[in-house]
Amino acid sequence: MGDEEKQKAGFFQAIKEFIYGVAAHDSARFALKSRASMEHLFILITMGDMLGVPILPPYYSLRLLPYVVPQISTWKRRMLREKDLTDALA
Amino acid sequence: MNAIFVLVLGFIVAFIGYRFYAKHIDQKVIKSDPKRVTPAKMYMDGVEFMPTSKNILFGYQFKSIAGAAPIIGPIIAIQWGWLPALVWILGGALFIGWVQDYSSAVIAMRNEGASFGGLSHKLISPRARVILLSFIYFYLLLIAGAFGNVVVSTAIALKAAPMAWLLLTIGGVLAGQMIYRWKKDIILTTIVTVVISLIGIWLGTVLPSDKILGTDLSNSRVVWTLAAFVFCYFAAVLPIWRFALPINYVASYIVFLGLFFGIVGVFIIHPNFTLPAYTSFSIKIGPIWPIMFVTIACGAISGWHSIVSSSGTARQLENEIDARPVGAGVMFVEMMLALFALIIAGTIYASPAEYGAAIVKGPGGIFAGGVAKFLGALGLPANLGRSYGSVMMVVLAITIMQLVIRFMRVATSELLSDISPVFRNAHVGTFIACILGMALVLTGWWQYLWVLFGGANQLMASLALLLMTAWLMSEGKPAAWTFWPMIFMFITTIAALLFTSYSLLQKVLSGAVKGQDLIGNTLMGLVGFFLVIAALVLGWEGFKAFNRFRTIKSQAAAAAKA
Repeated sequence: MGDEEKQKAGFFQAIKEFIYGVAAHDSARFALKSRASMEHLFILITMGDMLGVPILPPYYSLRLLPYVVPQISTWKRRMLREKDLTDALA
Repeated sequence: MNAIFVLVLGFIVAFIGYRFYAKHIDQKVIKSDPKRVTPAKMYMDGVEFMPTSKNILFGYQFKSIAGAAPIIGPIIAIQWGWLPALVWILGGALFIGWVQDYSSAVIAMRNEGASFGGLSHKLISPRARVILLSFIYFYLLLIAGAFGNVVVSTAIALKAAPMAWLLLTIGGVLAGQMIYRWKKDIILTTIVTVVISLIGIWLGTVLPSDKILGTDLSNSRVVWTLAAFVFCYFAAVLPIWRFALPINYVASYIVFLGLFFGIVGVFIIHPNFTLPAYTSFSIKIGPIWPIMFVTIACGAISGWHSIVSSSGTARQLENEIDARPVGAGVMFVEMMLALFALIIAGTIYASPAEYGAAIVKGPGGIFAGGVAKFLGALGLPANLGRSYGSVMMVVLAITIMQLVIRFMRVATSELLSDISPVFRNAHVGTFIACILGMALVLTGWWQYLWVLFGGANQLMASLALLLMTAWLMSEGKPAAWTFWPMIFMFITTIAALLFTSYSLLQKVLSGAVKGQDLIGNTLMGLVGFFLVIAALVLGWEGFKAFNRFRTIKSQAAAAAKA
């Protein structure tokens, strides 16, 4: 791809991203927030097994564990972060 | 003067502000470093902290800050003449507006993505946080009241608006259902729902509200106030994907298509200003200083932007150098939007008397008339253009209103749940917010309400600049570029709020108003005084913090010498 074509593609990409930002980025953020809330519940269910303390019948929660493990690092950040009321404004 | 000249002047100011002033501050004072890790990367949690492209953030920031205010402010302020309004829009954006938007993003970015509550707690004092939260609650109430008034006056003045608004709501709810429940393709969903909204705009001209409801109901403020707040009630209590978000999604296409083609229309028609450049120092709502400086809020400077920049955008910046295009760049785009509104108000009427007759009915009619004229240059019939403009006005106001009521619900739960657990209930918090907002809309005179909202909004801006100045001082960086704008905004807005509250309460105490005006004046006057007191306490706390940082700096300098 020549320089001019690259520039053209970059320009259209920027326009595409701007329209996405105006129209849909907020929706995507709220969808992620909803998913995060569900994840919190999900991780709570399997917490016992992660810590080695069975809280629910372990068979079922052990089966859920592989789905939870990839989310643990971001989940920890969300849970441990200090939150404020003004966070809810945007 | 020709409208094109105003737009060109706007481009020049934007270029100078962005390319030179903002660049200088970004490189020499803030010293933004592309290698420094931003909170979006450091604390990436996949939800709020998420590295995002600057183009997406540019669109997100613009969509979040461009409500009805940059349009309504200039339409009202042209009563002092278009020249003072033009000077304030250009000067405000150049010296104060971008400074606040950009610095709010920077302060949050350099403080681990903390929002204003956390920052005021850390930089000023714990008491400052509580006062700031109460201030924000009443500030949001004034937004709900002022924007509610815009929706109601537009629905009454333009009978096509209610039908267009209804179909836009139906289109939005359908969009939510198609995307999240039926898992339909986003392009198909967008086309279907935007077409439904456009049909609504046409249907509004065929079936205006007075044909369906009759003259009395279609002119009733109570009916449209109820409609607006029931809409906000649903937006606040329903899952956000079901109502608020998809309606905003569909609305964004309607609004931005209208704005884009409207500006193209200005270039085609390039009209001359027909209203006077300057009328008089004092008009019915007050003197040019301080009242005009709060009447035009967004477009010159707005506290709302600082909230968006700090709580939303700062947590998504993937690179420090993106703060300038996103924070400062978008502010200059909004300045252009305010200039567009000024051109509409200044050029579509043949004489000041015609404008005077139109402004009495509210700013929605003027905006819709302007949109009709400029879209008319592209071949759209005038009645369709007016219907299009009316729904744009309703949408610009109500998208912010629903956000505000939703936040007031959360704030009620947070601030009052210790008193009684009943305040944790989502319906209770929403109900309280709606009732307070409705009381303001139904009893307050809209121009005073707008000035109070503008005052609170600008005061929020000066508090944001106060936080920024405190942070710059704590870091030992030059702070004059935020300190002097803060002083100007603080004095101006306190003066505006005191003037307006005094005028309102004087009428109450002298017995000049009765009935619903008595309630409206009392409520607005008291809210205004509360905001002044809260701001003064915050200002005092900020002043103590400045002294603290100055002492630390002088001690450090003395220690270095020793």
